[in-house]
Parts: sequence; structure tokens; C-alpha cells
Amino acid sequence: MTHRALKAAAFLLLLSALAVAQDVASFEKRITVKKLPNGLTILICQRPEAPVFSFFTLVDAGSTQDPMGKTGLAHMFEHMAFKGTDKIGTTNYVAENAALAKVEAAYAAYIRERDKQVGRDERKLKQLEKAWKDAIAEADKYVKPNEFGKLIEQNGGEDMNAFTNYDETAYHYSLPENRLELWAYLESERFLHPVMREFYKERNVVIEERRLRTDSNPIGRLLEQFDAAAFEAHPYHRPTVGWMSDLNSFSATDAQKFFDTYYVPSNMVVAVAGDVKPAKALPLLEKYFGRLPTHLQPDETATDEPPQNSERRVVLKERAQPLYLEGYHRPDYKAKDDAVYDAITDLMSEGRTSRLYRSLVRDKKIASFSAGFSGLPGIKYPHLFAFYAFPLPGHTTQEVADAIHAEIDRLKKEDITDDELKMIKTRAKANLIRGLADNHGLATQLATYQTRYGDWRELFRTVDRIDKVTKADIRRVSNEIFVDTNRTVGVIETSPGGGKQSATEPPAGQGGAQ
Amino acid sequence: MKMKRTMLVALVLAAAVMLTCLPQSPAQAVSWQQIPIPPLPVFKPQQPKRIELPNGMVIFLQEDHELPLIDGTTRIRGGSHHEPASKVGLVDLYSEVWRTGGTKTQTGDQLDDFLEVHAAKVETGGGPDSTSINWSCLKGDFDDVFKVFVDLLQNPEFRPDKIEIAQKGMYDAISRRNDQVGEIAQREAIKLAYGADNPYARVPEYATAAAVTRQDLIDWHGTYVHPNNIILGVSGDFDATAMEAKLRAAFDSWPKGPTLPQDKDEVQYHPAPPGYYVISKEDVNQSTIHMVGLGIRRDNPDYYAVSVFNEAFGGGFSSRLFNDIRTKRGLAYNVGGGIGANFGHPGILQIEMGTKSQSTVEAVQAVDEDIENLAKNPITEEEIKHAKDAILNAFIFRLDSPDKILAERITYEFYGYPADWLDKYEAEIKKVAAADANRVGMKYLHRDQLATLVVGNTKEFDKPLSSLGPVKEIDITIPPPPGEQGQEAKPTASNPEGKALAEKVAAAMGGLPKLQSVKSLHANVTESEAQGPPTPLDVTIAFPDRMHVKVQTPNGDLTIVLSPDAAYMSMPGMGLRSLPPAQKNEMLDELHHDLIYIAQHVNDPAFTFSAGGNEKVGDVQTTTLDIGGAVPWVRWYVDPQSGRILREDYKGLGQSGPFHGETDLSDWRAVDGLTLPFLHKNKQNGQETSTSEFKQVQFNPPIDPKLFEKPAEKAGTTP
Repeated sequence: MTHRALKAAAFLLLLSALAVAQDVASFEKRITVKKLPNGLTILICQRPEAPVFSFFTLVDAGSTQDPMGKTGLAHMFEHMAFKGTDKIGTTNYVAENAALAKVEAAYAAYIRERDKQVGRDERKLKQLEKAWKDAIAEADKYVKPNEFGKLIEQNGGEDMNAFTNYDETAYHYSLPENRLELWAYLESERFLHPVMREFYKERNVVIEERRLRTDSNPIGRLLEQFDAAAFEAHPYHRPTVGWMSDLNSFSATDAQKFFDTYYVPSNMVVAVAGDVKPAKALPLLEKYFGRLPTHLQPDETATDEPPQNSERRVVLKERAQPLYLEGYHRPDYKAKDDAVYDAITDLMSEGRTSRLYRSLVRDKKIASFSAGFSGLPGIKYPHLFAFYAFPLPGHTTQEVADAIHAEIDRLKKEDITDDELKMIKTRAKANLIRGLADNHGLATQLATYQTRYGDWRELFRTVDRIDKVTKADIRRVSNEIFVDTNRTVGVIETSPGGGKQSATEPPAGQGGAQ
Repeated sequence: MKMKRTMLVALVLAAAVMLTCLPQSPAQAVSWQQIPIPPLPVFKPQQPKRIELPNGMVIFLQEDHELPLIDGTTRIRGGSHHEPASKVGLVDLYSEVWRTGGTKTQTGDQLDDFLEVHAAKVETGGGPDSTSINWSCLKGDFDDVFKVFVDLLQNPEFRPDKIEIAQKGMYDAISRRNDQVGEIAQREAIKLAYGADNPYARVPEYATAAAVTRQDLIDWHGTYVHPNNIILGVSGDFDATAMEAKLRAAFDSWPKGPTLPQDKDEVQYHPAPPGYYVISKEDVNQSTIHMVGLGIRRDNPDYYAVSVFNEAFGGGFSSRLFNDIRTKRGLAYNVGGGIGANFGHPGILQIEMGTKSQSTVEAVQAVDEDIENLAKNPITEEEIKHAKDAILNAFIFRLDSPDKILAERITYEFYGYPADWLDKYEAEIKKVAAADANRVGMKYLHRDQLATLVVGNTKEFDKPLSSLGPVKEIDITIPPPPGEQGQEAKPTASNPEGKALAEKVAAAMGGLPKLQSVKSLHANVTESEAQGPPTPLDVTIAFPDRMHVKVQTPNGDLTIVLSPDAAYMSMPGMGLRSLPPAQKNEMLDELHHDLIYIAQHVNDPAFTFSAGGNEKVGDVQTTTLDIGGAVPWVRWYVDPQSGRILREDYKGLGQSGPFHGETDLSDWRAVDGLTLPFLHKNKQNGQETSTSEFKQVQFNPPIDPKLFEKPAEKAGTTP
């Protein structure tokens, strides 16, 4: 054992002594979990550092659940969850509701005509479009714009946001602790009585989001194509934001259906962290979230991705500097080797001691950055372990690919050192501790682990799982997974005329409300 | 088929749900207005303890026992806005190599190994006004990690290999800076707001990054890193008294440095004239629009009214811009902005949004309307109330962790704001009336004074941007590195001044007949890299295309042979290797750049000699002489008085790709009828790389003809 390794071992002993204060037992005392009769799980973590709290609502449904031909719907609903309820955002809900029903009828008629393969009547289409837009204008009369978001803001809402990914949809913000009941009302109300108001305008906002993140961004364009190539059967092959034509087709009725199907209380975990006393908070939360109607879990059978048996390759010619990306199929997050992948990620990517940094950046001087990680594009279903690198000027994607492969070969052929293994384990513990220091981070992690494992304690067990990883595990998994036939490659090559965006917009009349 | 079944089940379920949904809802749901909001408990967050050492160093100690961690953060006066215009990028490079370059006793790699095994961090950084060195560690490691922190703070080494990595990283960032439309728009908007040459707006170029030397980094550290320029904040699980004792023991004896000049008002701001600016980018379908002007500083008395105005006009969900551009018109996903304010220098007044190419002009006009509407329909009492509520109710989030309070205090200390500035801020916001907010809106935000930048696919716009007013196109072409830049401008023919100057050089070296009598030479040279021991070289050259170099290394002699047919390298333990064509050509180019070789050909029409402008080398005003034709381009800097060459510029190929080479020539000595420079100081991309000292030179020596043949494979042991 070298001097360095000895020091590391001594440190580990010290750390396990320190970690006592941050272990499961200490959190047991601070955490209250309750599954309500309707199936929704509430999790409260006391952290009385300041009179504030954060929450994280996790809905276990993401773009993977988007229906065929309606990609982007999970994300679209997430936007709609800020549009208010039957009581918030309206001047007269009864009249508005009737007007919205007319919008849907007019839209359905318009779409029927628009999508006719044979015999489309352009004049009729114009009329139908006008009827639809007139119906929208009528419904808009009852709207109090953004009242829901305004209420949260006015009450001091901080970091109000939401996100949708392949696996889940989440909503979060923070408030002063005297607004706990107001929050419980607002957060339950938005899932009790969501209203699809201003849907088609919001759809245009989402389309702009697509243009921003994907169409007008070379790396966004690469990732979309890369996922589509790596996954052929599983819904991971479709973009979360949705294909442009789907965005220009789906309706408010579709969004409502998605909500009704997947926003089942038993699919939801609401975690609150901060200055909240369970004795007072739990009854409040039960009162408000208990109102959500229970119903059956949706059938979520989906096509499994079949084994890959040949390398796939996506090459984008862009007016951008080169980028190299490759991914290997691996099992989902519940696989027994999940911690082994975490260890490989740490070893290859974490900091300036990481193998990829040392090889590609420091020694070979061919890349400005390189890393490997799990979780592309999600973790809930079998997904990819990916590597990537940005080649330095004058160096090629092939050079960085070769260098990454050389490092992968080392993983397969040589045991990692004792020092490296210890470093990985030490960092796992330290990272866990560092992640416990704020309400938002705590709420996020607790809700995520409660959803994914049915038990928040698994957050603290990640360290135990990493502790059990052996050198042999790393070699075995590397040899199993990192093989050519299991690989998808995505490359950006520089081309002065590349990436041209022409009028790829839908033909006139399909652009939605203008 | 599986998919279809799922959908069917989903639809059936959905129908069922819609039926059961309504009856289950409570008949009389509460309304949000009825929900009580109890008063927030009084919260007096703990303030850090401030200590000022006799040497001027200011320390803040913030105990926080929640987790077993101790973190330290510093702010050190002096940032990128102080770096010279010719070396933009200096602070970026400094702040990376400060850490990666290690200390006098430990390399950066050794620090990495030590820290990572402890899951600890010591990192350096830099910004426009300051640089920083921070640490984070588990409390049990504090003593060890703090030692690294102090060592790096006081004894950085800036090792050249890490400068090279940082510079390459910077070149990479420069090469990629036009890849993302958002990055382009933000960078160019700042230039429009502050002026392109403003120190807060300018960005590194290949030339300015290459111009930064190791000495510059050492000098920067020497100028700024003194205790009287440092604010240190420590937070975490420690006892403040014990920590104070440790910090005093570490820093009390550190001598105070010179006082830095106050520079607050030196920086000039030259916002671009109002109007329309466009950058055409064909690979996007969304226009990124920034409308900019100059903002204010936070010590401006208007700051509080401006904060409320910003919230109401361009802040969150309730702002006018969000409601009009995003919600009502559906034109943008991101839209917002306001009158920006900074602590140390004016912020940027900026409204930004992204909209599809086909609604570009429509969106610009919509924002214009919203601005103009401020005069017709001033911000109402209700809007002001909402904006103030939003700011004041969220105020607690500026105080909700000991780290945040510490960071605020350090900022006030750094910029000379009062320690209780945050309290004042809260009190002043409460006082802002609708009239105040409208007054500052009218004062700072004028539609006809904004520079409007559009980055987008101009061919797809709904209307030409020129329909709004005169449009200026901004060229964002990245200036190529200095070496490549010369390629275009390189003269391809001689000029009379050049011929005359070349003849003068040849005469100063000893005259053409003597020069042309040299068919071969042998030299003993000592080569010193910036790091490592001097290496003795034994060089034999037979013009025009043969060379033999013997390098003495601790593991035995390394031999390099260049002949017209091939080039080889051999070393004990490594065997014989044939050099790839690129390296062979590079060696041949080096040989052809030999001063004697070029001087032999001053009358050769295949060689071009072109005199250019005047450039200073040291104190001497030299004339540049570009040489090309039969040899690859090289530029001599000739002292017109003496005819001596003081410097050479050329393009080279190194281990890590092409570089711009520069060699300073000095120590001219007479040898056997010729006068030659015995000292060569070499730079690559502006970075000092090596020094070659000639020990002995001999012309037309006896040469074993086998010398330039393929060397025999040497036996040897691998070290």
C-alpha cells in the first residue's frame, strides 16, 4: 500500500465516524412519510434552519408515456399546470368551460379537414381555421392571465419551475413557511381542477421552446437524432419536447386525457423540506391532497428495446465545431450493477484525477473536455451509458474516439487501483453529505428515491451500494457493455454549409394560433 | 401491437375517470382568499464575525453546524477588466493555471491526487473585478486542506505545461464561440451596451490569449495577491475562536502589499448608437433578440425603484412583457428583461426574447409597443403592489442560509457598501410608490435609445429588419491565430528594399563569398526547456537537406537523422523509428530557416525578400523582412543600422499541433570569418518554451558519410 492509499484508508475510518450525524437513523427522526388513502405519498422533512420550505411534486409519468402521434404531450401538460384552475385564472368558469368546449369542437373539425389526404377543401379549411380562432377569442374573454403563477410570485415564491423528462414530470418552488397551507391548496388544486385554457397559445410557446433547445442548437439537433438512432422500439427514441408535426396537431382534449390517465395519486409523491412541523403540516397536507380522486394505475406496458447487434452512427454536418458522443445500452436503474456504473462514471469523469481528463485533456492534449455518464436519455427503463469529448482545434473526432476507446479497454483489461476504488467510495460519501444542505435539494432527492424505490432511505443506501463495488465488478460490467455492436455513435462534423434551417415550418394553416 | 393495447386501456380508463371525477370533488372547495397567512416568525439570521488583520486582510467567520463541512471562499481585488487589451484572457488563464500549475513544492497533479482522495476541493477562479481561491472539505480534513490552500495562495508555480493546456482550452472556446446562437447574442449584446472595447465587454482572441506568458501570470499574482487585497470568508462546522486563532497564525505575519489605485471611474462606456444590428445565422429557425442600453449601479438612489419597475415590467409571470409577448401573443418561450444594476459598474438595460424567424419583426414591434405603452398606461398601483409583494415576500430567500449571508457580506465589503445594505434594501423597497417606478421607467428606458440586436435566419424573417430602420450588420468572423493571419498577407515577391536589407544582413554576417563557402557545419548546443535540466545537443548539418542530431539524455543518446529520403529517430530501449512525413518536413523547414542557409541565397531569384514596416524589438526599431519562395515563410526583424537579425517569426509544427514560433537572437560572436547569434530564445504561441545556447560552431568539418544513413538499431535497456 502506498502512503497515499494509507492516508485514504485512515480517512475512510474518520469519515464513517463523521457520517453518523447524516445517516438514515438521524433522518428517521426528521422524516414523516404517509401514503394517503387515494394512493398519493406525502413526505415531510424537518429542517428548521430558516422559516422557509421547498417542495417537490414528482409525477411518475414523462414523455415515455406520450401517446403515439402525440409526442410532447407530457411536457405540454406541464406547461398547462401553470394555467390555473376552475377558480384561479377565470372571471366566470361556467361560461369559460362552455367556450372551451366550443374551441375543442372547432379545432377537431379544423384538424379533420387539414389532415385529409384526399379531397381537402382549402376554402373550407380557411373557414374552419377562422371558426376555431374565433372560438379561442371567445374563451379568452374569461381569462385572468397568469393568475396562478402571479399568486405564487406575490406570496414570495422562489425558483418556481417545473420540468418534464422521459421518466417523470416534476413541479417545485419555495415559499416562506407561513404560506404552507396556501401552497397545499394551490398545489393540490392544480391537479384537482386543471383547466386547459389558452392551450393553443401555450402550444406556440412550447414550439418556441423546441426551436430554442433543439432546432436552433447543433448539440440539440445531434441529441435528438442520436436518441432516435440508439432506440428503435422503446419510446426513448422520441424527443421529450415532441416532434414538430405532433406539436402542431395535438389538442387540449388530448392533454386533458393525458392528465386523467397518468396523474393518478398513486403515481405522485409530494415531498416538503424545511421549517415545517409534521404534527401541524401532515393534517393540512392530508386535507388538501386527500381530495385528489383515486383511480386505477394506467397500463404502462411498452415495447422493450431489443438487443442491439450492430453499431449505429449518426453524423451531423454542422456550422459548429466537432463533438464526439457514443452510448452503450445498459439495464435500468434497478439493475443489480447500477452502483458499478456509478463507480465507472466517477472514475472516468470526476475532476482532474479522472481517467478521461488525464488522458484526453492533460496527456494527449486532444480535447478540451471529456466525460462518461449513465442516464441518457433516462434511467427508469434500459438506457445508455454515454461518453463524449470536445476535440481541440486541429484534432478530430476520430482521435478522441480512439482515446476514449483506449480508456475503455483499460477498464476491461486492467483492474482499477486500490487508490482509485477508495477515491470513488470516499467521494460518494462526501457528495451525499454535500447534497443534504438545502431544502430544494433534499425535497428533490427524497421525492425521487421515494418514487423510484418506494423508500426514501435508499438515498442513504447508495453509499453502501457503492461500497460493495469490487474491481472485478468494474471489469466484468465493462466487458459486458462496452462492445462495438452495442454502440451508437453521434458526431458533429464541421461543414460551412451545414445545419441549414429552411422553411421547415408546417404549411400555412398548420401554424396554430398566430 | 402492445402499444395499441396500452392506448386502448388508457382511453377506456380516461373515459371512466371523467365520469367519476366530478362527483368526487368537494362541493364547496375553499378559495385561496380564505386561507389564513399567519405572520412569519421573526428571523434574525446569524451574521458572520468580521476580523481585520493588521496587514489589512479581512476575514469573516460564519459558524454553521448543520453538516461536518468547512468551506472557505476569498475575493481578491483585481479582475479581467484590469488586464491589458493586448492580453485579454490573461485572468481566465491565470485563474485556471493558478490551481493546475501547482505550488513551488507540489505539482497541480499531486494536489489533484491528494485532494480527490479526501473528496476535498481547492479551486481558483476569476471574474471581471476579482479573482478567488476557495476550498471545501470535510471538517476532519481541514488542517491538511487548509495547508494546500495557503501554499497555493502564497506559492503558486504556474507550470508551463498547464499554461499550455489552459491556452489550448481557451483556443477551443474561441473556436466554438459562434456555435450557439444564445452565446453569440449575449456576447454581442454586451458589446453594444458597453462598447466593443470596454473591459467588461471584450473577449479573448487567439492573438490576445497567445500573448499571455508565464511571466504575466507571475506578475499578476505579485501585483494583486496581498493580504490587504483579500477578503476571506470561512463557513461551516468549527468554533469561531479556534478558527480565528488558526487563521491569525497562518496570516498575521504575511506582509502587507502596496495599495492598489482606485479605478472605479477609469472605465469608459461607449454604448452603440441606437438602431438595428443583425447577425445572420442560417442554421437556426428562431431569432434571438436583445434590445440593450446602459444600466445603473446599485449605489444609484434609483436602484430600489428600478428593482420594482423591473419586476412589474419584465420580471416573472406577472410582468407586462411575459403577459403580452408570451401569454397573450404566444410569440416567445423566453421573454423578459429590465434595467440591469451591478455593484461595481453599470449593469445592462436589456430586454431579450426568442421568437420564430417568421415573427421576428412582429416580436420587435410588440416589445416596442409595450415600451411605448408605459407612457400611455403607466404601471398601476395594483401592479406595483404585486411587484413589491413579490420582492418583499421572497426577501427571506436572500437570508435563508448562513452561506448566503456570508456571500452577501463579502460582496458589500468588496464593493464598499455598508454592512447592513440588505436591511436598507428591504426598507427602501417598501417605500417605492407607483410614481417612483414610473419615473425611473421614463428616465432609463427609451425605445428610441436602444440598440436592437437580432441573431437569426434573415432570409426567413416576416419582413426585412430594415423595414424598422437602418440596419448595421455585425461581423462575428473569428480572427484567425496570428500565424495563420500572416498567411494571407504574406508577400510573394521581393521588393527592392527587401533585397537591399537582405544584402545588408549577409554583409553583416561576414559577406556572401564566406557564407557560400559553408557547405556544412557542426555545432554543440545546450538546449534548456522551461522545465528540466539543460540538454546537450550535437548537431551536424550538410546543406541543403541533411542533418544529424545527437541528444544526450539520462537514458542514453537519442539520435535523429534527416536525409532527403527519410528521417529516423532512435533511442536505447525504444529502438529505431521512422519519423512521419509531417515531422520530417518540419525538420527540413527548420534546416532551411538556418540563417546561413538563407543568407547564402540573398541573390537567388527563387528566394523572395520583402521589407515591410517597422517594429520594435526591445528598444531597437527594426525593419521586418519577409522571406519566402523556395523556403517556407519566415520573418526577420532586422536592425537597419547593424544589419543584425534580432528576431525571427515563423510557423512550426510541435508535438501538439501547429504553433506560431518566435525566436529572439542575441550574443552575436565571430566564428571563423562569420558573425552569428549564439543565444536563441524560443517562444511558441507567445509562450517561452526553450533557450538554445551555442557552445561551439565549426564550418565544413570532416563528416563520416555514414552519419546520415539509417542508424543501426541500438541495444539498450528500458529504464
